[in-house]
Amino acid sequence: LPDAHYAQAQLVCAACGCVAAEGLLTTTFGDEEHLREVAFSRSTGQREQRSRSVQRGVKRVQDLCRVLRLPRALEETAVSHAERALPRAAFRRLGLPKKELLGGCCVLASCRQHGWPLTMGTLCSLLYADAELLAGVYRGLRAELRLCVPALGLAELVKTHLNSFRLFQQAADIPAPFVEDKEQTVTRTLQVVELAGDTWLVTGRHPVPIVTAAAFLAWQSLRPAARLACTLARFCRAAGVEVPPPAPLRLKELHDVLLRMAAQLAWLRVLRLDKKTVVKHLGDILQHRVFLLRKAFRTEDEEEEEEDEEEKEEAPLDAPISDSEIEQYLRGREEARAFGKAKAWL
Amino acid sequence: MDGVSPLEQYLERCNGQDDISTSPQLFAPMSPYDVDLPIQTTPDAPFASQFNQPKELPPDFSSVDLSFLPDISQDDQDQNPCEGAQDTQKELDGSVSRNEDSGVFLEESGLSEADTTQPCSETSGVCPPLTPMTPVTPVTPASESSGIVPQLQNIVSTVNLACKLDLKNIALHARNAEYNPKRFAAVIMRIREPRTTALIFSSGKMVCTGAKSLSLKMPFGPFLMWTESCGTFKKKEPKTPGAQYEHEEQSRLAARKYARVVQKLGFPAKFLDFKIQNMVGSCDVRFPIRLEGLVLTHQQFSSYEPELFPGLIYRMVKPRIVLLIFVSGKVVLTGAKERSEIYEAFENIYPILKGFKKSS
Repeated sequence: LPDAHYAQAQLVCAACGCVAAEGLLTTTFGDEEHLREVAFSRSTGQREQRSRSVQRGVKRVQDLCRVLRLPRALEETAVSHAERALPRAAFRRLGLPKKELLGGCCVLASCRQHGWPLTMGTLCSLLYADAELLAGVYRGLRAELRLCVPALGLAELVKTHLNSFRLFQQAADIPAPFVEDKEQTVTRTLQVVELAGDTWLVTGRHPVPIVTAAAFLAWQSLRPAARLACTLARFCRAAGVEVPPPAPLRLKELHDVLLRMAAQLAWLRVLRLDKKTVVKHLGDILQHRVFLLRKAFRTEDEEEEEEDEEEKEEAPLDAPISDSEIEQYLRGREEARAFGKAKAWL
Repeated sequence: MDGVSPLEQYLERCNGQDDISTSPQLFAPMSPYDVDLPIQTTPDAPFASQFNQPKELPPDFSSVDLSFLPDISQDDQDQNPCEGAQDTQKELDGSVSRNEDSGVFLEESGLSEADTTQPCSETSGVCPPLTPMTPVTPVTPASESSGIVPQLQNIVSTVNLACKLDLKNIALHARNAEYNPKRFAAVIMRIREPRTTALIFSSGKMVCTGAKSLSLKMPFGPFLMWTESCGTFKKKEPKTPGAQYEHEEQSRLAARKYARVVQKLGFPAKFLDFKIQNMVGSCDVRFPIRLEGLVLTHQQFSSYEPELFPGLIYRMVKPRIVLLIFVSGKVVLTGAKERSEIYEAFENIYPILKGFKKSS
């Protein structure tokens, strides 16, 4: 007879009342229906625990986010990437330096996905990492996790990059005429960067030098009288930033673009501007940039000249190879001996 | 010449060569009959419209074994317009939802998952169920030919000389060899004609690179040979794809020369398993390309990180080729085992690039 003592099921003899069999503590998993043995690792929740290395990696990612003062949402995304990536076979075996980079790449991916303009250069200097190495780990992470990572947003980059410029407040080592209003500078720089994008100066290029050159032009144009004589290098020194090596080239390209556009404005054409003076009229040019772009850069389909390639006649398929041709590559015995001796000397 | 099929003539010519000649299977994908279209993956090849010249085909092929030609199944023909139409449609709609599934490669049999990635059966309903579920770069309708032929720049091949080599000995007795065992465990040998470099290992394996251009001038070439055998003796036009056929032969000729050098140095070198491992081609579409736009619409194939590299890296699935696409319009194609893959990859990418051509 089935009976129960408190919660324990029992089989009791109908006649004498002895307990014939007591309910066994079942080893079924979950519902009664499953009837599976529960392995120790599952019952103790060992699976749900993260391995120590994953925990370390996640902590590192969190530290990076704190250093970079990233918002909570970004940190959470970065941590979720790290939690997915670190246990993977492809990444588990990485040495500590590379695991560090992996954490950095998770942060980078998260920043990109939330539109936070963290550059790889910044990440490299933060992690004391080699750019090539970082690139490899980043590509591996994207491939392994199949991440869709948007491109670096230039508009956001302008705002954050200009934040580090020191020219927006009075200071002892900055000449008074150099100080500028931040909002105005940012707005104008954004417009110049957009112009650079439209005129093919941005595609394929490193973004930061473009922003630096654009900021320089914008800053100059807001008070040309005092600032035209200032060079890019001097500007960066005053602003407290480094001159990125490609920046002078980007500056030259921007000047060329502006000159081309200025030539389309009647009242500027007569002034015969050069790269110095065109900056004075940057405001005008930016104001009419849509019209000017269309006029100045209308592409013409040039006739391609047929290239006359030389008639190349080639050796037959299985041409016989002459002995003399091969022998030109071989040393004679005397020569070989002499060479051997010479090598022994070295 | 009459009555003997051109294939047989060609094979006869090959048979009289030395023992290290490889079979004409090397050039399997090329049909020797079609003088105008040596590279075809589908019958309605994009080249057809451009290179349509009066063909003089040999009369009877029934007895000839054509098994070495690539499979041109009816399914491919049916699929192409379907995929092209459907994918063009999707691109026009601007829907990126298919791409958002970021590389989830469904099996062909996995039709049970009613996913968004069921292209043909949803939209057209005409396509055969053999439509692959892997995201594939959209195929162009055959009528649009780019008219541009990628030029081969480099060929890497390997061959097995099948004998152990004493590298020190080789470096001592060969003028064109360098050997720094501390730096690299192989002899680096170069020859002038064709201008190539070889890495020769002590195991007898050899890697041969270069094989780009010809400088040796001889009156007849293989292309002319074939045209002759087909009954027409045409002057070779440098711009046709067949004219660059020499690259593969160059590589093989160069490898044979290295083998001969090694033989002359006293080693019993053979010439086994010659195989082209990689081919690199490049060309110019002659208009600037908005890489930022391309990476948006072809996210699952593209990688564009201007902070790392100025070009966009496009990994095409079919054929399995990696393309480096630059803003200037220059395109580099690599990863091919056969030149047809390079041509096919370019014909696939060209209409996509044209979509990003902007006048500014």
